[in-house]
Amino acid sequence: MGLGDLLPGGGTQKSEGGLGMFGAGSPTFLTTKIDEVINWGRRNSLWPMPFGTACCAIEMMAAAASNFDLARFGMERMSFSPRQADVLICAGRVPYKLAPVLRRIWDQMPQPKWCVSMGACASSGGVFDVYSMVQGIDTIVPVDVYVPGCPPRPEGLIYGLMMIQEKIRQESLGRHFEHRAEDPALVAAPRADEEEIVGLTGPFGNSTHQEKLADGRIVRSPDPNDDVPV
Amino acid sequence: MGGLDAVERGPLPSDASATSDSGSAAGESDHPSVAALRAKFGDAIQGDTVHAGDQTVVWIDPARSLEILTWLKDDPGQKYDMMSDVTGVDYGGGRPVEVVYQMFSTTHKRALRIRCKLPLDALEIDSVVGLWVGANWLEREVYDLFGVTFKGHPDLRRILMPQDYAEGHPLRKDFPLRGRFSRAEQTRRALAQDVERFYGPEELVEGGAPQQVAARSEPAEGEG
Repeated sequence: MGLGDLLPGGGTQKSEGGLGMFGAGSPTFLTTKIDEVINWGRRNSLWPMPFGTACCAIEMMAAAASNFDLARFGMERMSFSPRQADVLICAGRVPYKLAPVLRRIWDQMPQPKWCVSMGACASSGGVFDVYSMVQGIDTIVPVDVYVPGCPPRPEGLIYGLMMIQEKIRQESLGRHFEHRAEDPALVAAPRADEEEIVGLTGPFGNSTHQEKLADGRIVRSPDPNDDVPV
Repeated sequence: MGGLDAVERGPLPSDASATSDSGSAAGESDHPSVAALRAKFGDAIQGDTVHAGDQTVVWIDPARSLEILTWLKDDPGQKYDMMSDVTGVDYGGGRPVEVVYQMFSTTHKRALRIRCKLPLDALEIDSVVGLWVGANWLEREVYDLFGVTFKGHPDLRRILMPQDYAEGHPLRKDFPLRGRFSRAEQTRRALAQDVERFYGPEELVEGGAPQQVAARSEPAEGEG
């Protein structure tokens, strides 16, 4: 008894495209594109590295618990070790003191790897437009999916992870190095240059325009005329 | 007792109108420690008030703070053996930074708040770690966020901000909300931190004396 006997249609039917192309006259062969197989394997066994720092982490735990059950999507095991993780879920605010830790964890994760920025604080700093807070983790690590919300519901996180799965589905092994390239010079360095970080983290709403002077120059060091300690 | 009885009874002591915040030389509190402090230390007691209904606050001379706090801890009539909190307040506008000691006597079941006004050009006061070990990290926090130097502290390093933080002391009123450096500079400095140096295994030893770590790194000082 071949494998084909166990499959619907006895494995003799030719299906169209993608996985499940059983044919070529023999029920014991499975033909598909290597991309399909590899991406199928990758996207259905994503192990998340939970980097939960705040209330978003509670929702992340809820997403992993039985009501929502992240394991249905292949995130069977929360990998608390970056070496065995595929997708970094940064859930919560990241202060500057924690930035090198987050960056170290990202650098320790083996390729291929993906990153989800969960919630307003991880994505943009959120309401914490203050001295101590990273204004969006995309200045520290490359982010694939941003999940909005404060915090996002578990459905939101699951949808974000399904978007990661969709992204993986469209990757091609032939363009592996294009997708997965890492610049060694960027290890433990900001992802973006100075102008870009200031642009990304620029003031919103009624925040003060502290970084840029009237002539457009970026303030690198303390301005002697500004807030002199008494 | 029914839920509406509280309404019938009228306002609780803590709902009483707050007295002035600056204290008075004449004294307003009937707290037994206040009279004892005045009798013992005289001029070093700069004022007292009752705050929020039942919280007695005493302003003392920072130059004699260690002497007074030692007496408050050890005198059989006081016995303030629990230092609940050491914190700081900066009112801005060039006014003095105040160091606040929130204490409780488990013997006499009394709470007392001691405050010391420190002028901005002399932000230093004696450490009370020798009296209450629990004040160690609290004083580090006040040092980190307000820049108050605690003389005699065994391990006066930053505790919340990164060790090499160079923008100053963030809870001071003259500190800009978003820090002194640009976001790009802050990001660059953050990623350049030497993580191993600040999160070494010594820091994680449970029950280890934090004082032993002191020799490893000097407190990074800088007003930016």
